[in-house]
Amino acid sequence: MGSNRSFALRMVLWSLLRRRSRLLVALTGVTIGATVLLGLVTLCYDIPRQLGREFRSYGANMVFVKDVVGGRLGREDLEAIRRGLSGDSLVGLTPFRYEPVRNNMLPYTAVGTSFADVRLTSPFWQVGGEWPSAPGQILLGADVAEATRIQNGQRMAIDGRNGRQERYEKDFTVVGTVRTGGVEDGLIYMAMADMEEMTREPGLADLAEASLASGGTGLAGLEARVRAAAPSVEPRLVTRVTRSEETVLAKLTWLVYLVTLVVLSLTMICVTTTMMTVVMERRREIGLKKALGAENGRVAREFLAEGLMLGILGGLIGSFCGLLFARLVSYSVFGRGLTPELHLVPITVLASALVTIVASLWPVRKAVDVEPALVLKGE
Amino acid sequence: MFLKMLLGALARQKRKHLMIAFTVGLGVSLATAMLGVMFDVGDKVNQELKSYGANLNVIPKGASMLGEMYQLGGDEGGGPALSELESDFIREDELYKIKMIFWAYNIVDFAPFLTLGVEAGGRQVPLTGTWFDRHLSLPTGDEVDTGMTAMRSWWVLEGRPGDEADPGGVLVGRELADALGLAVGQTLEARAPGGRAATLRVRAVFESGGDDDRGIFAPLPLVQDLAGRPGLVQRVEVSALTTPENELARRAAQNPGSLTRIEWDTWYCTAYISSIAYQIEEILPGVRVKPVLRVAQSEGAILSKTQLMIILLTLLTLLCSSLAISNLVTANIMERSVEIGLLKALGATGLSISLLVLSEILLAAFGGGVAGYLVGLGLAQFIGLSVFGSTVAVKAVVIPIGALMVLAVTLLGSLPALRALLGLRPTEVLHGR
Repeated sequence: MGSNRSFALRMVLWSLLRRRSRLLVALTGVTIGATVLLGLVTLCYDIPRQLGREFRSYGANMVFVKDVVGGRLGREDLEAIRRGLSGDSLVGLTPFRYEPVRNNMLPYTAVGTSFADVRLTSPFWQVGGEWPSAPGQILLGADVAEATRIQNGQRMAIDGRNGRQERYEKDFTVVGTVRTGGVEDGLIYMAMADMEEMTREPGLADLAEASLASGGTGLAGLEARVRAAAPSVEPRLVTRVTRSEETVLAKLTWLVYLVTLVVLSLTMICVTTTMMTVVMERRREIGLKKALGAENGRVAREFLAEGLMLGILGGLIGSFCGLLFARLVSYSVFGRGLTPELHLVPITVLASALVTIVASLWPVRKAVDVEPALVLKGE
Repeated sequence: MFLKMLLGALARQKRKHLMIAFTVGLGVSLATAMLGVMFDVGDKVNQELKSYGANLNVIPKGASMLGEMYQLGGDEGGGPALSELESDFIREDELYKIKMIFWAYNIVDFAPFLTLGVEAGGRQVPLTGTWFDRHLSLPTGDEVDTGMTAMRSWWVLEGRPGDEADPGGVLVGRELADALGLAVGQTLEARAPGGRAATLRVRAVFESGGDDDRGIFAPLPLVQDLAGRPGLVQRVEVSALTTPENELARRAAQNPGSLTRIEWDTWYCTAYISSIAYQIEEILPGVRVKPVLRVAQSEGAILSKTQLMIILLTLLTLLCSSLAISNLVTANIMERSVEIGLLKALGATGLSISLLVLSEILLAAFGGGVAGYLVGLGLAQFIGLSVFGSTVAVKAVVIPIGALMVLAVTLLGSLPALRALLGLRPTEVLHGR
């Protein structure tokens, strides 16, 4: 008797297990599809924007000068430029002021700037030592440091004449050297405030550099806004940076799109075949239902309803996993989170349901068309 | 008997096996395409990033960049006066050696420059001599085309590009051309400080968006003659394909002497910007090679990010196609419950049943995998051609990775389901549900 009871129990368990595992297989398939769909489409939205930010490591892509030759930008000009550029795409805006100076009777060029902004607009600067953080501290270009043999921590006397031909002199502490392999190596950098105090001429800059995370038309729009906000300022695109960025970024974006397209279409086909296999397995059940008098439409509706539910459930779970995956990629590649495009979730669920239904439709129709007797007899 | 049953099963249940082959094929083609792109994307993107221009500046040891023009600095001068010392120049006839360093194949382009302040149209103008498109025959037997044209991809030219065969043809910057009222095809007289003069013919007007727009670019021999410095150049720009810097490269850049023997070998034999710079300094005596960090560092950053991104995408794809394949195999085996029950009832052992089912599935998977590999190769080429305009070199290592993936995934998908079915008594299974 005991063996009989255990037999019945096992029958029930087996049936449950079978049904559950079949459900699980189908659900896994749909979930994979939804994960790939949402994850990749979210990344497609995000990657070009993120990569655009990475390209800002090439430095400024717009430069501002006064519209008269030899003119200088005043404080109000800089503020007007900043107003014109304000928005998400502004990575940094850095003023530069060049002054011919002397040290030990030898001529150099001193540059007044804002170090906090330089670090944003020119991330490629390699500074040995420290960035100036207090008044009276300067950075030497690598070539200047080599020529003068001044070490970090030592003092450097700088003198010169201002626009009114008044002589000035000031002692600075060298806290670091900057190396870029370009013209920066031959300059002396100090804070704008130090420059103003030294020359006794406040608030002037020869040019300002802006680093903008924006492409062709976006840059043109920003250019127009600056022209409107500061009419006496002449914005110029650094074509070397903008044009190269356009070509390279376009290719990388296209690469991401294409990869997404290929992966997405193949994954969807994969999901379809899995669903087909799962439904095909139930031909006997369909045959039985038909033999018991169920109409074709009724059987089909039942399967479609099941597919719809599977699609919705799988789509929801997959959306969650997909968002997680997109976040993971964004964090580990770009070190930034991404804003989840929540309106994509219903689209994903809908697409999953659609794929599931289409995938079940074909085998169900085949099974429904067949004589029940044939199906029930086996193959 | 085993073979007969296997062949029989394959022939009879065509549809089921086709389904497995199809899904495995899809998975493998995805994996092949993505792995192929992943291994090659670094080289491709690196090549694209060359459009930002040179990443190495070669200058004579004595000179520094102090004489370089400032970007938009507003100086009206026509370039710095030329030094009298021969040690402040690099010999033009030694430049071919740049293409003979250890990493010669990573040197994409290089071009020498000699800038002279001349008087043209009544004002001081910087006149720069360079190679536009020079053909070099190396002692190694290699033929090389190099020059400035490829290194200034962002210039917008109006007219014909510079040509080595036209000794008097020059490119004039847009700002200067507007100021002097010059158009393509016109000529202008240039007078050098030493009293020499030459007639220049405008081949093209260019727009660079930088200081170059106020100058003239001419073939090198013309400027050398005007300057009275035959066979000499001031600096050379080199554009090289490099590997992103790491800790080792940074230490080596500070001081190559601080490395151990093994570290030094690794560094020397990797295409770091610092090791390429070191090798050029080795082969050209009396020069200093400075990496242009603006280009070099950005390249490294973008390259490593792109690679990481593609690697993660590839991993996702592999994971998903693995799951899909094993999912399908599980479904396939579950469908065979009746067949397996019957075999057991007829006295087959668990082992022989497993062998039979697994060989069936693996055979189908193998067929699908081979087809998928070929399709994947095609897909990788499609991606390479449509994005970068060149074919993707699919590495051989993709084949074992793909094969291992299919084997592991198929087995992982089959075994749990098989175990579950074999654990049942034939009656239960044959009974149905």
